[in-house]
This record gives sequence, C-alpha cells and structure tokens, in this order.
Amino acid sequence: MIRWRAPIDRMVWADPRRRARKLMQFAEVEAQGARDLFRAAEVTPDPHLRRRLFAHARDEVRHAALFRARGLALRRTLADPGPDRALGDGLIPGERGFDRLEVEKESMAALLAFIHLSERAAAHAFAAYGAVLGHDPETRAVIARIARDEEGHMRYSRAELARLAPDQGRRALWIARLRRLWRAYLRLALILADLISRLILTLVYFLLLAPFAWMAKRSARRQAPGWRACVDRSRDGGGGQY
Amino acid sequence: MKILGISAFYHDAAAALTIDGLPVAAVQEERLSRSKNDPAFPLRAITWCLDHAALEPEDLDAVIFYERPALKFDRVLMTLLRGFPQSWRIFPQAMKNMVGEKLWVRGIISAQLGVPAKRIHFTDHHLSHAAAAFLTAPTQQAAILTADGVGEWATLTVGQARKRSGGPAEISLLREVHFPHSLGLFYSAFTAWLGFPVNEGEYKVMGLAAYGTPRFAGEVRHMLHRTRDGAFALDLGYFDHHRAADAAYSHRFVELFGPPRDRFEPIDPTTPQGRHYADVAASAQCVLEEVIVDIATALRRETGLSDLCLGGGVALNGVANARILRASSFERLFVPPAPGDAGCALGAALWADRILFGQPHRDCPDHPFWGPAVVPTDLARLAAEDGLSCERVGEAELMDRLVDAIGRGAIVGWMEGAAEFGPRALGHRSILADPGDAAMRDRINRDIKFRESFRPFAPVVPADHAETFFELPPGGARLGRFMSGVFPVRPEWRDRLRAVTHVDGTARVQMLEAAMAPRLHALLMAYGRRHGLPVLLNTSFNLAGDPIVTSAAEGYSTFRRAGLDLLVAEDLIVRRDPARQDHSLEAMA
Repeated sequence: MIRWRAPIDRMVWADPRRRARKLMQFAEVEAQGARDLFRAAEVTPDPHLRRRLFAHARDEVRHAALFRARGLALRRTLADPGPDRALGDGLIPGERGFDRLEVEKESMAALLAFIHLSERAAAHAFAAYGAVLGHDPETRAVIARIARDEEGHMRYSRAELARLAPDQGRRALWIARLRRLWRAYLRLALILADLISRLILTLVYFLLLAPFAWMAKRSARRQAPGWRACVDRSRDGGGGQY
Repeated sequence: MKILGISAFYHDAAAALTIDGLPVAAVQEERLSRSKNDPAFPLRAITWCLDHAALEPEDLDAVIFYERPALKFDRVLMTLLRGFPQSWRIFPQAMKNMVGEKLWVRGIISAQLGVPAKRIHFTDHHLSHAAAAFLTAPTQQAAILTADGVGEWATLTVGQARKRSGGPAEISLLREVHFPHSLGLFYSAFTAWLGFPVNEGEYKVMGLAAYGTPRFAGEVRHMLHRTRDGAFALDLGYFDHHRAADAAYSHRFVELFGPPRDRFEPIDPTTPQGRHYADVAASAQCVLEEVIVDIATALRRETGLSDLCLGGGVALNGVANARILRASSFERLFVPPAPGDAGCALGAALWADRILFGQPHRDCPDHPFWGPAVVPTDLARLAAEDGLSCERVGEAELMDRLVDAIGRGAIVGWMEGAAEFGPRALGHRSILADPGDAAMRDRINRDIKFRESFRPFAPVVPADHAETFFELPPGGARLGRFMSGVFPVRPEWRDRLRAVTHVDGTARVQMLEAAMAPRLHALLMAYGRRHGLPVLLNTSFNLAGDPIVTSAAEGYSTFRRAGLDLLVAEDLIVRRDPARQDHSLEAMA
C-alpha cells in the first residue's frame, strides 16, 4: 500500500509550503480528535475504558502540539507561507482523525471500532509519509514518533473492543469499515455536487441577474446611509416570516 | 402559555422556554453538543428545555424563531445584486446556505418537533435583542439600544419600552441603521485582521486594545464616519463583508494598517509589531466607543428616560458599556447575561408572550441560571472510580477548606446548581483562584486555559464591597451584575489584585449579590475575613476552544485536563492527586 502511493506522497511532501500547511492541519485534526476522545471518556460508563480514552486524548493533545510546533518552525522558514487551506481541506481518509464523530450517538463497540480503524489508517499514512521525508529529518522524526503512538492506540482500541464486546467485535469492525467507505463516497459526492451547483448558480448569476442588479444598484444609489424608520409589522399579526 | 424560543443557523444557537410569562429553562446548544458556538438547529437544547419542564412538543402553545428568514434572504439577495458582478464568487455559497436550509425554518421546526406550522411564529432579530434586554430587566421604562453584526437588515436600532407588572408591555423601535453599515462588522473586520476568529475573538481585540494607544483613531474615523442625522456609515472601500463570504476587510484596509497578523504566531505587545497591533486595536475600540456613546447620549436626550437597555453582540464590549454609563448621562444600564444571539431565544419567547399574545407582564427573576443543574453524585462516582479523594463536607468546613486552599495558591473548579445562560461564568461554572498573584494569572493563561498571555482575568466581589476596590460610576453595580462593565481598580488595591488588574489598571468585575449566588457570596466573604479582601479571580470553567462545562462529567474531565487542584460540586469536594494522575491514571496500554 505504501509503495504505490510513494510518488504522490513524495510530490505532496516535497513542497515546504504544502508540508507546513499539512502539519498545521494535522495539528487541528489531532486537537479535534482529542476533544472527541475526552467527550467519549466523559460519556462512557466503564472506568477502565474511560482511563484509556483519557490517556489517548492526552496523546492527541501532545500530537497536536508536536505537529503545530514543527509546522510553525517550517512556516517561519518561508518567505510566503501561502493560504491556510488548499482546495477543500485537502485531507485524505487516513489524515482525518475521527472525522466528525458524534460520540454520544455511537455504541461503545462502534466507537472503539471506529477509533481502531482511524488509528490504523493514520499509522499507515504516517508510515508512508516517513518513507518520503528523508530530506526533512525533523519532520520525519515528529511523524515517526506519532506513528508509533498510533500503533499503540490501534492495539488498545482493539483490546478494549474484544473486552467490552467480545461477540460483536468483528461485526463492529466491518460496520465501521463500511461506514468509512460510505463517508468517503459522501464526501466525494458532496464535492461533485458542490462543483455542479457552483457552475449552475454562476451561470444563473451571469445570465439572469444583470437587469435585476441594475435595478438594485439604482435603488441603492437613492438610499443615503443613516437612520431609517423601523417598519411596523403589526398588520400581519407580527409573527410572519417577512 | 408555554412558548419555546429558538435562535439558530448563524452562530451560538439556543433554546429557551417560558411558561406563563416566566423563563423556566434556557440553554445554548454548544453546552450540550460540546461544539463551541454551535450554530446548528438546537435540538439538544430544545429537548433539554422540554424535558426540564416535563413537556412534549405538542404541549407548546407557540414556537417562536428569533428572526425573519425571508427578510434575511431579501437582504442577502439584494446585497448580492448590488455587488454585481464582483459578488459572483459569493453568490453560489450564499444561495446554497439560504435556499438549502436557512429559508425553510418553519418547515424545519415543524418537522423536527412535530408542531403544527400555524403555531410557529417569527419576530425581528433586533426586537429579540431588545426584548431580551428589556423584558428581563428590573425597570419599568427604558430607552433601548441594540447593536450587532447584522440581523435581517438592521445592524443597530434605538427605541423605547415600557411595562408594568401585571399590565401590558410595549417595545417600540424607532430607528435603525441598515447593513452594510454595522458597528459589529466594523469591529469584526479588526478582529479578523488581528488574526482572531470572528464572532469569538472580539474579546481579545478589547483586551489587546489596553496595551495600545489610539494613534490611528483619525484614520479609523474615516472608515467609520458619522452621518448628518446622527447615525454612522462605513466607508465600504475598507471592508469586504458585503462582497465576500470569508473576508471582512479589503486591500485598502491592508494598505492602511499593513499586512494582517499571522494567526499562527503569538502577539507580544512589548515588540514593535505587537505594539502596532495593539495600537490598531485601541484605535478601533476608541472609535467604536465614540460612536456608540454619541448615539446613546442622543437617545437619552430624545427619550428623557434614565434607564438604558442594551442588547446585541456589541453589548459584550464591557469597556464601551462602562463608557456609555459614564458619558451618556443614563443613570442605569441594563445588559442581559446573554446579550448576543443566544439570548435572542429568550427574548423572542418573552416578546411573543407579552407583545404577540398580549399577556400581562411578569417580572423575571434577575439571574442567569436557566441551564442544566450539576449532579454531585455523578462526580462522586467518577472520582471514586478513579481513586481520587472525594468527600462531602458541611458548608462551614467546605468554605474553610477552600479559603485555606485558595490562599495557598490552589486553583478551584467550582460547579453549583443550574448552568449560566450566556457566554460568561457568573458563579455556577467558574474557575476560582487567588486574585493577588500575577504568577497565578500567567499560570492559568498558560497551563489551565491555554490562551494568550495578554488576556486579563476577571474578579468577582460581593456587590456591597465593590466600591472599596473599584472606581464605580453611579449605576456601575448594576452593570457589573452580569460582568458587563470594565472599571478601574482603585490604585491602592492594584498591587493586591495583580492577577485581575489589566495592564491599563482596569478589571471586568462581577459584583455579586448574595441572593443571586449565595454559596459563592459566602465563599467570598469567608475569603475576605481570612485574607483581608473578599475578591477572587473568576474565569469560565472551560479550556480554550471548549464551551463552558455543563455536567459533572465535563467538570471532572476539565479538572483532570487542566490540572486544577480542587473540584467542587455543591457540597462535594474532589482533590487532585498529582502522583496518581501522572502514573496510574494516564498509563497507556
């Protein structure tokens, strides 16, 4: 898996601006992951799992700090760091952490399966990035360190899944896999829908709005800034939408 | 009547329930979803409000939304048309936002709650602000001033209102300023340029302003100038909020003040660059104050009323509020505990009760505690499961222990009763500490709250002792009730109140009356008896990026994450054990 994507990863991580941006994004993802895990710790009734989730969340906080520190260090070497974001958020599935996980709505088995798969995807992604970062040993060291932690998280989440849901573990993992696939499909579909709707609405904008725009501008010119009387809406009973 | 008020879809969604004209529950969605400034339809908040009152949605007589979506759509569409053809980039996103969801509020509420559409009503955004400020305030007659980013079209309104307990209530908004001319969006442009998140970082601009001098005030007055009729207008060449979805200031703004601050880099007001940012913040703050004080002064002359009710997001600016009180000749200034959009949920519900349905006015309890209550037994269970020291103690002993611990430098998480409605911790979900130690401020900023070093902390003091420590103008105690004003600390006390005295010698003080939060009041008095001054540092019980805690589990989690020394929930006290925390609890598989 690592081998086939190496040229893409090499290209992505070669550019220092993109590298800095990705590290800052990873910091945000890890920080959000920490919030999700702290939330999971707050709602779980199992004290042992709560301690594990809490420790995991603390790791995510530490990871966020590591990514952020390295990203900032890289940014400071750049004359122009560029925009904070690429097209969309530019993140691939292994980089999304828990991907808007709604902790309260998940069963513990589903939550642990989701954590396990997310951590596994992250561990694989980070291993791949480490392999193409020979030219930046500091970033490589940060990623390698975090990848080791992700492997630990994979193991504990699998062990907890086996402990808390011994009969449902395999099924929960399969459902989580399918959900991740479904989310990936939805994300792609949303991007496509967004592009199509933008195209259609932009055409509508230029083809239909010009005369209305002329009238709106004309009316705006007649309105001086300053006070205006408030409209009395008591005639519609006062509770309408307009 | 049972009326549910809802605010949603922009930022800080909330729900509030009134029964027979009195609030019974109000909570922001973020406090339950745990997503800061959650703008989503507040289903959790609604569910909690209904559960709290043991109601089903069909029991509601009315549901009222805090603004008029169709009128808002009118403004969005008109702004896009007026910006043609430069608005082409924002058009698709704006249409998708409005037509995709925000326009169909009646249908969304009806579908989510199963309430018939005819029971769903709407009111004006600024009328909701006005109602939240006036109908909850202990005054019978007042002038009204509301100011925020934008509602439907209005960004600022003035008016007057009257009410009588058991009699009718009347709110009449006289005049308004329309989008794109907006004090809130003016301030937000500086917030964005300074690298802080809009609708969240405005506090930081206010805090940073104290480090600077308003040497750009002349330039800023060109950007925000007065109109002949006494209102104001923005020079739109400096702003982009009317042209772009994700930009607040234009290239001309950047030409004037320089490149925006890199949001990833810290601000150090002692460096030339940091001073420049502080000077720009001070200039924006100064001009905002000038304009709003002028408008308030004119309103006082026009109405002849001695009380002013202030609402909208701009009313969160405590420095400007205190200046209005000092300079406008109003005798009392009422700012509700939730003056922003969340508070509109309660304002809309009260407006519907008094004005739409013509019910007689009933005086509302004068406190902010309308949220979920803490359950100490939950905390006891969590602490016991983690092997932390946890005990129930009597009131006197609890006070004694806390006074002793805080005096020795302990930082305490304090949870009591129902959570506050609004953005401020006013005594039920607070972090408390010694106000005299500057190192304490730095420790809380750096290790507990993880926030910028230049941001000040607020003190809490019993209302009848406030004059001793703070220079209050007449009416200052009322403004300080919900921490809505910033006042000078008396010079002779600044050294002993170092942790809560800002760089300009001021503090955003909460003046606490015993009836509002009796246990915290008792703690302050006990602290005063032991240490000589009944003042504590009081900051909201949350970490940076998180909403204020609501439940015992969230308080416990934050207590552990932040490394607080003690956690108190009602009469239960949990003590941190650093050794256990570092080794056994955090041990990873």
